[in-house]
Amino acid sequence: MNALHTWAGVVLGSLIFVIFWMGTLSVFDREIDRWMMPATRLAAPSSQAPIKLDGAVTGAAMQLAKGAPQWFFRLPSERVPAIELRWRNEATKAFERRFLHPQTGAVLADADTLAGTGFIFPFHYTLHIKWVDLGEWLVGLAGMAMLLTVVSGVVTHRRLFADFFTFRPKKKMQRASLDLHNLMGVLALPFHFLMPLSGVILLFALYWPSAHMGQYPQAKNVEESKKAFTAEAYGQYKRAKANQPAQSAASLDAMLASAEKQWPGGKADFVRVWLPGDANSYVELRRSYAGEVTMNLDQIYLDAATGKVLKRFEAAPVMAVQRFTAGAHRVLFDHWTLRWLYFLGGLSGCIMIATGFLFWLESRRTSHAKHGLAGVRVVEALTVFTVPGIVMATLAFFIANRLLPAGASVGGYGRATLEMWAFYGVWLATLAHAGMRGRWAWREQAVVIGFLAVLAVLLNWLTTRHHLAASLQQGMWAVAGMDLALLTAASLAWVAVRRLRANGAMAQPKAPQAAAKPLQRDKSHA
Amino acid sequence: MKLVKLALRITGAVLGGYGLTALLVALLTALLVQADMPRTEAIVSASMAGFLMYLAVLVWAFSTIRLHTLWAGLVAGSGAAYGLLLLAR
Repeated sequence: MNALHTWAGVVLGSLIFVIFWMGTLSVFDREIDRWMMPATRLAAPSSQAPIKLDGAVTGAAMQLAKGAPQWFFRLPSERVPAIELRWRNEATKAFERRFLHPQTGAVLADADTLAGTGFIFPFHYTLHIKWVDLGEWLVGLAGMAMLLTVVSGVVTHRRLFADFFTFRPKKKMQRASLDLHNLMGVLALPFHFLMPLSGVILLFALYWPSAHMGQYPQAKNVEESKKAFTAEAYGQYKRAKANQPAQSAASLDAMLASAEKQWPGGKADFVRVWLPGDANSYVELRRSYAGEVTMNLDQIYLDAATGKVLKRFEAAPVMAVQRFTAGAHRVLFDHWTLRWLYFLGGLSGCIMIATGFLFWLESRRTSHAKHGLAGVRVVEALTVFTVPGIVMATLAFFIANRLLPAGASVGGYGRATLEMWAFYGVWLATLAHAGMRGRWAWREQAVVIGFLAVLAVLLNWLTTRHHLAASLQQGMWAVAGMDLALLTAASLAWVAVRRLRANGAMAQPKAPQAAAKPLQRDKSHA
Repeated sequence: MKLVKLALRITGAVLGGYGLTALLVALLTALLVQADMPRTEAIVSASMAGFLMYLAVLVWAFSTIRLHTLWAGLVAGSGAAYGLLLLAR
């Protein structure tokens, strides 16, 4: 179990770290959206008049999504104060997204960015590898590896309770990093077990095709049986096109009001119009997750012309357990304290993985150098690329968002693509740098992270005039929180730079006599 | 030789273990459907249990058992699960 913990950690640790980092940021993906899409920094809906969809808002949607077989609204919430409209562009087959002002229906200036919900969150579970769902499978493998390292970690660190109260930050890097690894591992142990477990459970239908494969005799392949299963378990309703223009349209506001009467205490937050303009057009309403952990499947389908209910659906009991587990992973409910705890839990996971790497590196540095082994060099470059590297790439993504002028395009690629290029370009550069500079790369990248984080805050101020005092005063908590988080990151980077200078261990290769009193590699820490 | 053994253990655990668990998930689904559970519910139940079963198989495969015990267990377990699956459907 010890060797398993070590080697599963070293081999898959980078992948797990990337998933943890993106997942941690995804806890605040909508807040990142506000920062990256300045036009949507509106006042929270509670301070506004009630939403009226009929008229201007629906009119704007009909115009923007003309010709699309369906379009949908997400209604404004505390975290997303504008109406989000999405549809599929029939020409490019890509999903489009615009934000509408909740009162006037005016289309807000499009920032042309994928931002938190479009780039960071999908990165967390697909790694943006779409081919044969490879990204999802890799993330699933990493999730199982994480579960396995947690189980083997508990076995490895038998002195769980004692380890919890052991932290010697003043000791040298090797000892301090192991203490921190154990502290983070034990402190958030249930979190580190339940996050990968609930994460793989979220995508169960992809990972266990054998469960639904035999159950749908009419399905010709796995894709079809998955589709048939999803339609049945998630309560999808479909109706064919009449190919005749609609004669009338019932009021969406009235449909919302009647749906909310059927869901005691529940509010609808999702409105989809299927086959808009067709005589067979119908409307799908979904109940909000704001007030409960469960990502409920409460849906009502209504006839668009008459408002007559076509189908009502609620999740069956076991499916409801799956939806609760999914909700506990996705954190789509409104609870700021818990949201911050998820964020801290995620960061503790990042620290646990990073310090695990550091311990591995520090305890082998001298012997690998003596025997001419490449292990430490390779793993160190990979760790620098993974840990400070991805932080820097993320900051580059934010900075590109604030630096690129509206409508910028290079070779036909718009802002959204250029921002991603900034991310991947900087990320690859950190790998090259780590490969060339070895252990020096840590400190040098920490310096750059500090500067970039401050630069991002300054750019937000210069391009939107929402400096910290202004965003705090106007109650733009998402913007203020993002700026504060960036400033915190900058100060942590500064602490790290100082620490790495003070700790001669990182500044110069260890002299052989420094290892005269090596850490006893007893059985429990092999 | 050591490397071949390591490769055999990892493939046995990760791929063989997945195959065995996938068969067990299919079997559990079929049994639950036989027991009159609606099929969507049976599929969700078996799939969710599948992750814990796979974790248990992984822990077992990486524990100190011998390599041939691992592979014998995987083959025998998969064979038995497949046979029962044919009966249950």
